[in-house]
Amino acid sequence: MSLIKYESFVREPLVDGEKNYHVVTEEIVHTIEAKPTRLWYIGFSIAVILLLLGIYAVYREVTYGITEWNLGRTVGWGWDITNFVWWVGIGHAGTLISAILLLFRQGWRTGVNRAAEAMTIFAVICAGQFPIWHMGRVWLAFFVMPYPNTRGPLWVNFNSPLLWDVFAISTYFTVSLLFWYTGLIPDLATIRDRARTKLRKMLYGIVSFGWSGSTKHWQRHESLALVLAGLSTPLVLSVHTIVSFDFATSVVPGWHTTIFPPYFVAGAIFSGFAMVQTLMVVTRRVMNLQDYITIGHIEAMNKVIVLTGSIVGCAYLTELFIAWYGANIYESDAFFKGRLTGPYSWAYWIMMTCNVAAPQLFWFKKLRRNIEFTFIMSIIVNIGMWFERFVIIVLSIFRDYLPSSWSMYYAASIYEVGFFMGSLGLFFTAYFLFSKYFPVIAIHEIKHVLKTSGESYKARMGKIESEDMEQFYHEIHEAEHH
Amino acid sequence: MDIRKFVVGCYDDEEVLFPAVKKVRKAGYKIHDVYTPYAVHGLDKALGLRETRIHTAGFIYGMVGLTTALSFISWILAIDWPLNIGGKPHFALPAWIPIMFELTVLFSAIGMTLTFCYLCQLAPFVKKHHFHPRATDDLFVMVIECTTKTNVQEAQNFLTGTGAKEVNVQLAETGWWLGTYDKDRKIFEVGKEAISA
Amino acid sequence: MIKQQFEIPAGYKKWTLGFLAVGILALVLGFFVLGIGKDEHAQTRFWAVLLQNSLFFLMICNSAMFFICATTLAMGSWITTFRRVPEAISSLVPILGILALIVFACIIFGDKYHIYPWLDKNAVATDRVLNYKKGFLNPVFFLVWTIFTLCTWSFVGWKMRQLSRETDERPLSENQARQFTWKNTIWGSVYIVFFALTVGSSIPWLWLMSIDAHWFSTMYSWYTFGSTFVSGIALMGLFVIYLKNQGYLEYTNDEHLHDIGKFIFAFSIFWTYLWFAQFMLIWYANIPEETIYFKARLQGSYRGIFWLNLIVNFVAPILILMTRGSKRNYTIMTFMCVLILLGHWLDFFQMVMPGTVGEHYNLGWYEWGILALFIGLVMHFVGKSLTKSPMVPKYHPFLKESIMHHT
Repeated sequence: MSLIKYESFVREPLVDGEKNYHVVTEEIVHTIEAKPTRLWYIGFSIAVILLLLGIYAVYREVTYGITEWNLGRTVGWGWDITNFVWWVGIGHAGTLISAILLLFRQGWRTGVNRAAEAMTIFAVICAGQFPIWHMGRVWLAFFVMPYPNTRGPLWVNFNSPLLWDVFAISTYFTVSLLFWYTGLIPDLATIRDRARTKLRKMLYGIVSFGWSGSTKHWQRHESLALVLAGLSTPLVLSVHTIVSFDFATSVVPGWHTTIFPPYFVAGAIFSGFAMVQTLMVVTRRVMNLQDYITIGHIEAMNKVIVLTGSIVGCAYLTELFIAWYGANIYESDAFFKGRLTGPYSWAYWIMMTCNVAAPQLFWFKKLRRNIEFTFIMSIIVNIGMWFERFVIIVLSIFRDYLPSSWSMYYAASIYEVGFFMGSLGLFFTAYFLFSKYFPVIAIHEIKHVLKTSGESYKARMGKIESEDMEQFYHEIHEAEHH
Repeated sequence: MDIRKFVVGCYDDEEVLFPAVKKVRKAGYKIHDVYTPYAVHGLDKALGLRETRIHTAGFIYGMVGLTTALSFISWILAIDWPLNIGGKPHFALPAWIPIMFELTVLFSAIGMTLTFCYLCQLAPFVKKHHFHPRATDDLFVMVIECTTKTNVQEAQNFLTGTGAKEVNVQLAETGWWLGTYDKDRKIFEVGKEAISA
Repeated sequence: MIKQQFEIPAGYKKWTLGFLAVGILALVLGFFVLGIGKDEHAQTRFWAVLLQNSLFFLMICNSAMFFICATTLAMGSWITTFRRVPEAISSLVPILGILALIVFACIIFGDKYHIYPWLDKNAVATDRVLNYKKGFLNPVFFLVWTIFTLCTWSFVGWKMRQLSRETDERPLSENQARQFTWKNTIWGSVYIVFFALTVGSSIPWLWLMSIDAHWFSTMYSWYTFGSTFVSGIALMGLFVIYLKNQGYLEYTNDEHLHDIGKFIFAFSIFWTYLWFAQFMLIWYANIPEETIYFKARLQGSYRGIFWLNLIVNFVAPILILMTRGSKRNYTIMTFMCVLILLGHWLDFFQMVMPGTVGEHYNLGWYEWGILALFIGLVMHFVGKSLTKSPMVPKYHPFLKESIMHHT
């Protein structure tokens, strides 16, 4: 271990301002210890109202049946599955930031990973609602689990992508939760140890599991985090891959295409980052965390957005090209008569504009570093990605092989919309509670990078920076061996 | 119930801590532990701790998950209740790979986390003696265990000499017990003999 | 003392010459025995092997530049101590590009329609599908787009290498360093965008997928990318290890090797992921016009190669490179790099051969001879390119970070 803390001056600091470890603790824990602001109460109330709306919509659906939704003969999957895929996609950014960026050593992840992981978990919870309530007779939902039963036993169909989904989503939820929570434990202990009220001491004492900060524990903690990151990386790929299998294993034109798995993953990261961006822009302002979630962080995430947006664009064009090149009339009709033109073409073009064209503006550094623009763009991308799923699902099935059963124009019923609103409510309720009771920034990880990437520390690195390379090399060499 | 006497030194900078650890170990003191607010890389090596093998455990759990998935699914679909699904063979391996993968990851992650919690004695309602409340904030707390031969005063002076900002002596229970952090428990009543020892 | 300037060792020269001699012998012999013989099957074999090798090596050398540009955009500093190695590898793109172009020209102007069925004018006239696709699959578009692609890869790659040379002579001031990073970012992005338009989409369709001209898969290009990228990293790893053993690259240490190992590990899994996704979806949907591709590979004489491909490129790296120790072990890493390169060479073999030479393929003197030829070419030109610049970009703003790199 070398004690030499150094980082190239070309890199932007990750923590702004004059900071030491105590100030870091103070500034991040402060929001938990203080009373929530008015803005928080207002936001929270709106979220809860939306949630109640959703509960009512679901109540209607459960009591009166699936007919409360406007699903028809050919459009059997409408808003519900669109929302499911949308939410699962959003639930990808957290693990991506924590796991893949950890493995790729992107230092800026430390500022945003905690909130992104939390967001992931909430998004997956929201996603899970849709297929569950879509079952209709939801009280029999446990039928999807493979357990010995009195019906034969008649097992579930392991060859069905829908069952793969059950396993994928529940595994993803569990592993994300473990990853998030093990990371939280040391920070919860920090809050516990500085708590002044008895209740807080008790509650944070319970949830921090008696963490002491022992060196051996840290060593295991690091190893655990690394392996969980290593596991989550293929996991996060697998989840959206399996979601894409729901469509791609079928023989429906527009669904059956081999590029779906990686393209869905890229799209998931894309929409996930957009949602992280939406939340971070607000969080940093409301909680006064501009020093930890800097413009540099925002810019880095915008770069990921333009990258993944372009990958998705590349996949859209590939699909279009192969729809022509494949010389299959059904496939090309699905694209050229069902998407680019036709009654739903507006949805296709919204998708193209929001997902492919709009993010290209992020090639400009000025725009990447503009907070207001970033916020607007993040909303645009979220909308675009919702439409992507709508396009994939509804636009592929509203016309099947029998023109006589081509459905009427599908539009969601008020309860479908209400359910969607409710999931937004659930998501934001959870996020508001999280931001009040949990440290939204990983305190111990910030401390870890503080002396290499903190602004005030970087300012003092001039000596190392100007040092001759040979001499620097020997110093490092010395430090490594003592 | 094991109560011992410790000399505690608190450092506020890892650049002071590392040389201090070296000196203390060289002087022959037994370092019980060092408590830090974040994972200080290399401190485990400096303390002479063995590499953790928790990742090996993770690998084994993963293999268990993989085996479970494959044997369970193949038993169900090829032996217990073979069905013709889409004209695929009964042993339709490509279709099982997604679930096999998921269960590998699930077993590995859960198993490792539980192992981690077990090894570090972490659970809700678990309580331990904490030598300094700021060990989770901004102090690096080195704890030296006293033996019968240890001269407590000398040890304290030694720690101050290595740059410790705060030095004291504490009696502490080394294990864990059930309890909540809002209530103190008087460990001394239980282990008076230990103190005299 | 750090050896700053690469000098080609005698042993390296000897091996290069050996490979080249064997290769040229095989080429000449192949030309007379197979290439200009009467047997159409032998002719096809002659050209198919040349096509497979020239494209494989061209694309893995090109992926070295992709690696540089991707790490540049991600502000990855760790490659700085050995970045001259991928730079040298990428300098082969124009050379191998010309070779590939010659092969293409011979195939197209020689009407080798056993290689590319769309060259057969009678077939295009009568075959509905080929006729339908002729807007894309035709010699003019093929050559124009290929030449444009090769020129752009070569030019932007050259530009990136030129930029890197700026850090050899004198220290950069703070402003210059920022400018330098900025310029790198710009050219890196240009490269990546163009890469997506070529390797990420159109080029594998034209060069490889059109061999099975009736068949299509949207995944194909990304799959090809996965295959060539992981082999590109393996090639780079091989040179890094060799140079370390020769006493160069002193700043590069186990930590860097460990990360190269991680890349090989990760992208082997990534390749497998793409392989599985493509295979499983086609297997599951079971549409004849798609399964035909795997039928030829799974149920005929390619069966062995098909499974070997998976074992070498997935099972081996995942088991062998999983532990920390193996990624830091020179012998294991050398073995794995060679294995991966051979494995993906074999992958290309099974991509090209079933659609060209068909059931009765050979893996004999000619195939191994041409492989030797290309190994010799790569060794020769990479060696030469390495001598042209100092081994370490001494004043690169990220060099210090790279020196103290920890995994």
